[in-house]
Amino acid sequence: MTNTRLPGRRQVLAGAAGLGLAAALTRRTARAATPTINIGYFVETKPTMIAKSQGWFEDAAKAHINWVEVGSGAQINAGVVAGSLDLGIGIGSSPSAAGISQRIPYKVVAMLDNIGPAEEMTVRASDNIKSPADFKGKKIATPFGSTSHFRLIGFLKTNNLSLSEVTVLDLPPEQIVAAWKRGDIDAAYVWSPAKAELLADGGVVYKTYDVLDAKGYVIADLIVARNAFATANRAAVAGILSAYGRALDLYQTNPEQAAAIVGPAAGVSVAVALANLKEYDFVPLKTQLTSQWLGTPGHPGAFAAELQHTAQFLVGQKSIRRSLGLAAYQKGIDTSYLEQALA
Amino acid sequence: MKRLIARRPWIVTLLAIAFVLAAWATATWTGAVSDLLLPTPDELWSGAADLVVNGYKGYSLGAHIGLSLMRVAVGFGIGTILGTILGLTMGMSPTVDALAAPFIEFLRPLPQLAYLVLLIVWFGIGETPKIVLLFLAALPVSAVAARDGVRQVSPQRLQAAQSLGASRFQIFLHIVLPSALGDIFIGARLSIGIVYATLIAAEMIAGSSGIGWLILDAGRFLRSDYVIAGILVIAAMGIGLDRGLLLAQRRIVHWAGK
Repeated sequence: MTNTRLPGRRQVLAGAAGLGLAAALTRRTARAATPTINIGYFVETKPTMIAKSQGWFEDAAKAHINWVEVGSGAQINAGVVAGSLDLGIGIGSSPSAAGISQRIPYKVVAMLDNIGPAEEMTVRASDNIKSPADFKGKKIATPFGSTSHFRLIGFLKTNNLSLSEVTVLDLPPEQIVAAWKRGDIDAAYVWSPAKAELLADGGVVYKTYDVLDAKGYVIADLIVARNAFATANRAAVAGILSAYGRALDLYQTNPEQAAAIVGPAAGVSVAVALANLKEYDFVPLKTQLTSQWLGTPGHPGAFAAELQHTAQFLVGQKSIRRSLGLAAYQKGIDTSYLEQALA
Repeated sequence: MKRLIARRPWIVTLLAIAFVLAAWATATWTGAVSDLLLPTPDELWSGAADLVVNGYKGYSLGAHIGLSLMRVAVGFGIGTILGTILGLTMGMSPTVDALAAPFIEFLRPLPQLAYLVLLIVWFGIGETPKIVLLFLAALPVSAVAARDGVRQVSPQRLQAAQSLGASRFQIFLHIVLPSALGDIFIGARLSIGIVYATLIAAEMIAGSSGIGWLILDAGRFLRSDYVIAGILVIAAMGIGLDRGLLLAQRRIVHWAGK
């Protein structure tokens, strides 16, 4: 009779707890075999999209990657602070400079590109804007907090244009296109594909980048890695960088083939992808290790000073509370992963 | 102790607030919580003081508050007045109800962010799209409230007035409107809540002014001091608006609920 009794409540609970524990353990061992990396990225026309769409990042990092699309560098900063992003690919130099100043626990591990003319002022051809003084009374739109915003304010500042003479509006790229089509704005400082759409719709380039770059308003796109993740997964971070290097090689040796992959991955035509790609100065990984850019471990390059200058500017904009000494920005760049990727 | 609490419940309130403040101060001053997540009390104080003295990115704090209040007032005002008129008409006339109901019912549950980009395409980037957004948030709520208010008028009272020879207009003015006023005010308080919640979305449109934009912009750079100062201001404004409406409700429909 007693053989057939049903299990008591305690036995059921103990059994459930045991099953739960077993499930947790198997999940943990499964994770140890192929770890998951959370990467924040932008959908943009860059060689990173080749490595992403071909699965090169996963192969080189020997990990499963959870791709999180972001709309701004600020979102990468917030994601790293919250611990939900391990890497940020394509974050701009201004949010990175802000992040290092605020002691966000991450390091710049490599760069993608020197932005150069890829982000530039577009003005309405019919407005006949030829000199800085012609901007007086005009409306210029830019996504606030972006590298373009940084350049635009730099342009106004170096030309002694005050914010009471020029109206600067905060619009995300897709809304810039909408406002432009309605005729609400006279100019925009933005990147492609929004920039390409303005140029196709009565816009002309008003060149500012060469003068601004010379005056210390250099902007770049970077790769950042969360400290705790990077130190525990050195090989994975180096693997990600080498996968990017492979994609960059493909683009530099065969731009047409690269654009044919980047276009569909970024949701634009192959021709547009090729045109956009050509606007960026993608710095080869080896060149990044020179003193002009990131430098090597122990021998920081000149880019740290650009980050510091950007941070000082952001303090003036009230975007961050304080900037730090040059050493903090030099420490904010860790090129050891890049060296490992190239070794 | 129990009797003390029963007699003075505000002591519990004060203790709860003191506890939260103390926990906040300990967590931030000891460095257990990074100032990116929460400012220390003194950072919040200096951030708030800086906003009051120097303003934020081109506008004084008063101007940010004023612009936001103006947008809320105009959007809520026009939306509630037109919505109430529409709702009253819908309640009185089944034809108007049949005509307008599908649009109201379509608009009411629609998340405002869904048509944000359309508003920019249609109305540009000035004050108009922001106010239209708030207007569209207020309109359906007040229309439904007014319509339901009219429908709840007891048929006996209407029949009594009719048998005494009251005209349609007299019935509306002396019976329907006073009866529906309670519901109209409940609708207005609901709608100011929704309008206020929509304010941040409205100020996402080509902003560079307004308290909602201030919070969004400061959040972009993890300026937790400005964000929390902004939240305190926006909360105080919200409480003020709601209390103002409550006061008006008690004055105008003092008979409601009695």
